[in-house]
Amino acid sequence: MVKYILKKFFYGFLVLFGVITVIFFLFNVLPGDPATVVLGQRANKEAVEAINRDLGRDKPLLVQYLMYINDLSPISFHNSKDRNSAFYLDEQKYSYNFLMSMDEGACVVAKAPYFRRSYITKRKVSEIIRETLPETAVLAFSSILVASFFGIALGIVAAIKKNTFFDRLALVLSALGMSAPAFFVGVIIAWLFGFVLADYTGLNPQGSLFTTDVWEGEQLDLKNLILPTITLGMRPLAIIVQLTRSSLLDVLSQDYIRTARAKGLGFYKIIVKHALKNALNPVITAISGWFAGLMAGAVFVEIIFNWQGIGYEVYDALTKNDLPVVMGATLIFATFFILINIFVDIIYGILDPRVRVK
Amino acid sequence: MMSNIDVLLEVKNLVTEFSTEDEIVKAVNEISFTLHRGETIGIVGESGSGKSVTSLSVMQLIPNPPGRITSGEIIYHSKNNGPVDLTKVSTKDMRKYRGNEIAMIFQEPMTSLNPVYTCGDQVMEAIMLHQKISKKEAREKTLQLFKQVQLPRPEQMLDTYPHQISGGQKQRVMIAMAMSCTPSILIADEPTTALDVTVQKTILDLMLKLQRQHDMGILFITHDLGVIAELADRVIVMYKGKIVEQGPVLDIFSNPQHPYTKGLLACRPPLGKRLHFLPTVSDFMEHTENGEIIEKPKSVSEVLASAEITAAEREIQHKEIYSRSKILQLKNIKTYFPIKKGMFGKVSDYVKAVDDISVDVYEGETLGLVGESGCGKTTLGRTILRLIEPTSGLILYKGQDITNLPPKEMRSLRKDIQIIFQDPYSSLNPRITIGEAIMEPMQVHGILKNDKERKERVMELLKRVNMTEQQFYRYPHEFSGGQRQRICIARALALQPQFIICDESVSALDVSVQAQVLNLLNELKKEFKFTYIFISHDLSVVKFMSDRMVVMNKGKIEEMGDADQIYNNPQTDYTKKLISSIPKGQLQDIQASIETKKNYRAPIQT
Repeated sequence: MVKYILKKFFYGFLVLFGVITVIFFLFNVLPGDPATVVLGQRANKEAVEAINRDLGRDKPLLVQYLMYINDLSPISFHNSKDRNSAFYLDEQKYSYNFLMSMDEGACVVAKAPYFRRSYITKRKVSEIIRETLPETAVLAFSSILVASFFGIALGIVAAIKKNTFFDRLALVLSALGMSAPAFFVGVIIAWLFGFVLADYTGLNPQGSLFTTDVWEGEQLDLKNLILPTITLGMRPLAIIVQLTRSSLLDVLSQDYIRTARAKGLGFYKIIVKHALKNALNPVITAISGWFAGLMAGAVFVEIIFNWQGIGYEVYDALTKNDLPVVMGATLIFATFFILINIFVDIIYGILDPRVRVK
Repeated sequence: MMSNIDVLLEVKNLVTEFSTEDEIVKAVNEISFTLHRGETIGIVGESGSGKSVTSLSVMQLIPNPPGRITSGEIIYHSKNNGPVDLTKVSTKDMRKYRGNEIAMIFQEPMTSLNPVYTCGDQVMEAIMLHQKISKKEAREKTLQLFKQVQLPRPEQMLDTYPHQISGGQKQRVMIAMAMSCTPSILIADEPTTALDVTVQKTILDLMLKLQRQHDMGILFITHDLGVIAELADRVIVMYKGKIVEQGPVLDIFSNPQHPYTKGLLACRPPLGKRLHFLPTVSDFMEHTENGEIIEKPKSVSEVLASAEITAAEREIQHKEIYSRSKILQLKNIKTYFPIKKGMFGKVSDYVKAVDDISVDVYEGETLGLVGESGCGKTTLGRTILRLIEPTSGLILYKGQDITNLPPKEMRSLRKDIQIIFQDPYSSLNPRITIGEAIMEPMQVHGILKNDKERKERVMELLKRVNMTEQQFYRYPHEFSGGQRQRICIARALALQPQFIICDESVSALDVSVQAQVLNLLNELKKEFKFTYIFISHDLSVVKFMSDRMVVMNKGKIEEMGDADQIYNNPQTDYTKKLISSIPKGQLQDIQASIETKKNYRAPIQT
């Protein structure tokens, strides 16, 4: 099992490396000159060149790529003396610990990954992410939690009560939930529950996890989580209902379920013990895929509800051509995807002994 | 005779119906029989005859909807509760009998165990459900059961998952589970159909032994009369939901009354003699327009006599075949599969599926390839077509080395060599009409000028495999297994091949249907002068079909030679074991087993 997990992490690392490479080259062929982003269209030539030198854009692409990797890697190689070196160990950029240092300034350091700085605000991208990521994570997590819980429960009931009124209703509703676009439903939900019915629900049409009150300062406002959670969780919920239903129906027609019945087991014991453990595998795949997807895909919902998450930040950065923020956020999303997939593989290994063998 | 006290199960006028969209089908129609303690009843019939539905009705496991028991009684004489009508007890009460007093073993050991629990857990679950004992005791008891059913390494087996053991071992776990509460009745629904003959024999022996120990009544369901010959005391023959004949096993075998029974007995490939064709059920009976069965005048021995090939005829035939040139030569073929890979994909261990095999096939010959599952026979068949690339060795087709032929030339060669696969259900695309399916290979290889001519040819082929032209526009799901296999044969014929590899082509079919397909293959061979490689795990089928026979074991050739000679005079231990395990269904064997059973039962009855 340990070997299995290590292997998954190793593959995950390879994927991450590929993602970094793709991100780097992709954003480098995009039109848009960072210097003009920073200085505006009418900047003078010297200033533009200075900025380009500062960003390392005067160097060949391959060197820039190595610089980027060196910046991201927790263990990196630098030159601590030569200020003009592409790999100069700049205290402005990194907070580091020396691991090894050789003469002529070459050294190896351990550091937190450096995602560079925003062109606009000059703040470290890692800081921006640290501020906004938890908000998005909370939203995505609560959405997927709600979607999984209700989705699996409804799916099971629909499968057991196959072809009854409830089953049909669940299918119709989930088809609706799947096809309704979030940006539209989000607005409706915000308007209906946060405005028209606000007197009964006591909810705000917009608002973030933390609200800043004039008198009491920043405070946690959990009720603001409800509407965005519903909006964001609706599609995964609809899909989980259908997936659980079809997967469970499929498992229930298997021979080993007949064996369990022939043993004399009761109906609910068969469902819970023999069917669910087999049926939930595809559901877990879907949930994990969605969770990672929600992290990245919460943009619309965050804008509608004015939720100060990373999606909102990325949207903002994209409109301003603020590449480091976009690249940093993309990398974080990718890392999440990979970590969650490793996590799911491990759960698989626990749930299904057949997976463990290879 | 057995007294009334010994009665375990009385089925009286049972009717079980299934409702489909347009009609109600009586899957079981007014059947009655009685099972006694210590008795084995064999229920025989082809698929769709209602034999499985009978067993599921007894267990009250008919899927509802669409199935329903509409009338009749199933009276079970319980040890503790006296007689109860199982059709009337509540679901909750039924659960007390299921697995506890009436247990069942199913056909597919591969899928009948839950893949996510260990074998031990699944047996313990049954024990703890019906007996009030601790988990530790249940585990101990499971271990005893595993020893009793002769599972290897029983201690380890407790913590082994189903996918880690073989089919035969899985069936033993199923038997252990069924036996866990020492049931009064054991229902076995084709328990050995999916297993190799040698494994089948050990499983049947095991069931007999357990029956003696516990004095169980067994309902043994099968499509193959031979399997139950030495096992059953009485036989029930079912046809289209009805019992057409029932009686003591020896009577059924020595003097069958109903034409259907005669057909079933005659259509198994005989081991003692050579036949031109196999008798089929339709040689003995036909249906009138309103579904009544009419017996044809011919007797079994008459039909068999007309089909027999004499030794002299065979000798002449062989002389001619073996004076012809070799159509296929295999030289030192090895096909290995990697099983263990290092971190970077470096292969460190192999399965030697085909290990150094050299065979020649003569033009017009039928070469049989026989062996148990996992012996490499299928891999060899696919290696010849280069569907799997050989690891090393040489394949010569008509003298030409095709081992390294470039893909384009290989594709045009595939026109010459066709393969008919095992599973007629999955080898036809469900969304393509069968006419198009047969036409497709002709289009791919550009045979005939246009689709109109091709369609005509498909019509001819359909007629040739005894189907009708109207069936051109039908989809695969509308056909039975035997019909689908005939469609697959027509598809293979469409390219006018010279060489056909039949890979377990009849293994998924009932014996009666199997006979029809085998006959068809032989007729086609005579007509089109094919060369066959006939691959099967069933030695009797291979012997019936082939001129020469190759016995494979663990990737190597165990024995090779004239099919009859190998059967009559096997040289290696493996072949001997393979032959002795075949259920032969001969009268003297049945008599012998009846005698042994009497000896066992005598002390109980006094």
